Order: sequence, then C-alpha cells, then structure tokens
Amino acid sequence: MATLQNSYQPEYFSVVHPLDDVPEPKCSSEGLGHIAMTPAVRISLMVLRGYLIAMSLMLGYHVLDLAGAFHGLK
Amino acid sequence: MNRIDSTFDPVMAPRAVARENAIVVRRRWQRSLLTFLMVFGPGLIVMEADNDAGAVSTYIQAGGQYGLHLLWTLIVLLPICYFVQEMVARLGIATGKGHAAMIYERFGQWWGRFSLIDLLFVNFLTLITEFAAISLALSAMGVSPFISVPAAALGLTLMVVTGSYLRWERIVILLCLLDLTWFGLVWTMHPDWSGMARSSAIPTMPPGGITSSLIFLIIAIVGTTIAPWQLFFQQSCVAEKRLRFSDLKWARLDTLIGAVFTVLVAGAMMLVGDSGFRHRIVFEDPAQLALALGPVAGKFVRNGVLLLMVNAAVLGTTAISLASAWAYGEVKGWEHSLHKKLWEAPGFYATYIACVGAAAAFVLIPHVPLQLVIISVQVFAGLILPSAIIFLQLLLNDRDLLGDRWVNRPWNNITNWTIIVILFALSLLLAAQVMLPKLFSR
Repeated sequence: MATLQNSYQPEYFSVVHPLDDVPEPKCSSEGLGHIAMTPAVRISLMVLRGYLIAMSLMLGYHVLDLAGAFHGLK
Repeated sequence: MNRIDSTFDPVMAPRAVARENAIVVRRRWQRSLLTFLMVFGPGLIVMEADNDAGAVSTYIQAGGQYGLHLLWTLIVLLPICYFVQEMVARLGIATGKGHAAMIYERFGQWWGRFSLIDLLFVNFLTLITEFAAISLALSAMGVSPFISVPAAALGLTLMVVTGSYLRWERIVILLCLLDLTWFGLVWTMHPDWSGMARSSAIPTMPPGGITSSLIFLIIAIVGTTIAPWQLFFQQSCVAEKRLRFSDLKWARLDTLIGAVFTVLVAGAMMLVGDSGFRHRIVFEDPAQLALALGPVAGKFVRNGVLLLMVNAAVLGTTAISLASAWAYGEVKGWEHSLHKKLWEAPGFYATYIACVGAAAAFVLIPHVPLQLVIISVQVFAGLILPSAIIFLQLLLNDRDLLGDRWVNRPWNNITNWTIIVILFALSLLLAAQVMLPKLFSR
C-alpha cells in the first residue's frame, strides 16, 4: 500500500511595525562635511542666489513704493 | 561612498524585542497588506493637510469664477505632487533625518539658517490664515471667535501632547477621511458630470479668454497644491515613524494614494465653487458662499462647507506646526519626537504650542491686517519653495551621502528639473504680481 506523505509545510510571515522594529543603519553624513561642489551644485546654488536677490529687490521696491518713496518721481 | 551610521551596532540590536511585537500571518498578500497599513499615514496626511483653509478658498474661488474650466489643472498637478513628495519620502527613509537637518549638514549654516527662518516665518503666517478661517467659518454658525479660536488651539495642542505618534497619526487620518464629505456635498448639488469629465481631461478656455486674473488664479492653484512646508513635514514624519528601507514601496503607495485623494477632494471643492457659479452667487470667501448656498441647496451643504472649512484649517494647523517644531528641534539638536512626553522634549513641544498659541492670539487682535498676512504668505512661500526643492534635488543626487541605491535615476532628474524650472518661474511670477501689481495692470 502506498504511503501518503503530507508534504504541506505552511509558510509563516512575521510583520513588525516600523516603530517596534530594530533600528536599521541609515545613510549618515557624519564626517562627510559639506556637499561636493560639482558643476551641477555650483550652478544650482548660483541660480538660487540670483533668484533670491531678484525677489529681495522686488520686495524692497514694493516696501519703498508703499512708503511713498517714489511718489515724487511719478 | 555610502556611509553607515557609526552608532549602530547590529550585533547588539535587540532583535528579540522586534520578534516579540511581530504579527504572524500565513499568506504573502496578508503580509503585504499589513505592512502597507503599518506604513500608511505620512503620505496621506501631508497631501490632505495641504488642502488647508487657503486651499479651500483658492479651489472654491476657482470654481466660483470659472466654473469647471480649471479642473484640468488638478490633473496636471497630480504627478507633480507625487514626484516631489516621493523624493522627500525616499530621502527621509534613506537618512532617517528631516529636511532642515540635512540642509544644515550638507549645505552649511548660511543656507540652513535661511531655510529654517523662512520656513518658520511662512509657516507662522500660514497658521494665522488657518485660525482666521476657523474664526470665519464658526462665526457664520453663530460661534464667537473668542470661543472658537481658543478652543481650536487647545484641541490642537491636546492632539500632540499625548506622547504617542500613533495616536496623533490615527486622529489626523480620521480628520483626513472626514474630507470624504466633500463628495457628499457635490452629489447633493447635482453637478454636470459629463462637463466635469470633459473639463478634467481637456483644458478649455473660460469665457473672457486669457486674462491676468486667470493666469494668477492658476499660479495660486499650483502654489497652494505644492507648499514648502510639505517637503519638511513628510521627511520629518517618515523619520519620526522610523520607516525602513524595505518600506519604501509602501511609502510610495501611501504618497500616491494621498496625492490622488487630495486631487479628488480639491476637485470636489472646485465643484462646490461651481455651484455658486451656476447660481450666479457672488462671494469673497467660502463662508459667504456657504451661507448663500443655504437657501438653494439646504442646511447640509451650508453647514457642511463651513465645518469642512474648519476641518481643513485644523488639519493644516497641526501639520504646519509640526513641520516647524520638527525642523527647529532637528536643527537645535533637541529631542523632537511625538513619542516623547511633554517633559522629555520640552523645546519641541514648546515650539509647537508657541506656533499654535501665537497664531490663535494674533487672529483675536481687533482689525488685524489679514490681507497683508495673505500677501506675505505668498511672497515668503515664493522664497522658500524653490530653495527647498533645489536642496531636495541636490541631496537626492548626493552619491557621497546616499550611495547608488537611493540617488535619483536619470529619468527622475529630467522630471524633477523640469518641475523645478516651472515652479521657479511660477513663484517668481506670483511674487512679481503680488509685489509689483502695476507691471501687470498695463
């Protein structure tokens, strides 16, 4: 008589909430210092500075205009 | 080189504790579903909190002025929202730190201070508009601002001081889901469904053609859909929730669901505004529209719009105040976690409470210049959004920090630089319109 073998082996998966899990190593900037000044970084920061200067000039003009500094010129 | 945090000791890590808290399931799909539910939260919250009081006002105004004609803008904004916030989630998971801390560490003190001060300032001004909306909506329901505003401030404080991130997250997800009521409001107002589908898919010209008011309303929609605090908030929130590398795909799904839900809710707000357009109701704010719609559409619509306006302001306030408190705490090196009790992270909680309390108090000052506050929000948001997004893009190309696994792929960079150029141009245009209105009236 043939023997019936139970080959079913149930799989189990455990799920752990991130807050309950073991902390994992993250990418750290320790000891790296500032970001490397590649051309992309340099150009981006230059454009950003230009943008901020343009915005500041606009804001300054608006404040002076509201204060009536240009009334005599119009 | 991808550097690993030197304080981590995998041998000593308490794996047994993690196993004790594990839930065992028998099926792969059960594992996937459960893991997703555990990760779910930051993406939905950051997106839905962006539908704050200012957004309600902008979307309803868009519907009220142009009917269904601007619905397509939301469809265009959906992938933009997702791409930007996906980068934030990826950076948060990879580094376990907030955006403000990363700017300080990689770009130095000058850029760090600039970003932080601008963020805190624009967030504070935005909070004032949130409390102004609470005051406005509840005044329309007969509640004095001297009761509604302090009560809201107290409730918002109690939400966070429980010492449990998960409790705060569950409350806020519930508030997000309350926004489903917008769909109920739309249903009762019998919108033009086929026109809605058409306007969502194909941009159509509103009567009157392209005017400066139309262009700036479109810019305002973009500005309100992608706000600077969102970048700081989601990265800190992901770090706070300690999401793991393996959670990234679920964090992406969370962000996508949040983006889709937010755009749908924003569309519903536009449709509510459209009902005002169809009934030829002239209004300046959503509360006026709600009161005017009352006799036409019933009490459900009137009270619904007013209460949802309050809900939007509450969601916006808690997320924006937390973005400020997390950013300030990270930079100062304080304990900055909702897991901590009030006395364990006093600086972090003091920042949150100060933001909420000061904004609430400001609104109660008689004859407060709210218009000036709203204009200032637009100007300072125009300063912080392009800079924060540039830093985000540069950080996600920082191979020294992230290694090859987490940096942007070429298609990411093409998409993101395109988004950045568009946001720069729109921010500059909006700021120019606000500060130099005479340029555009000619």
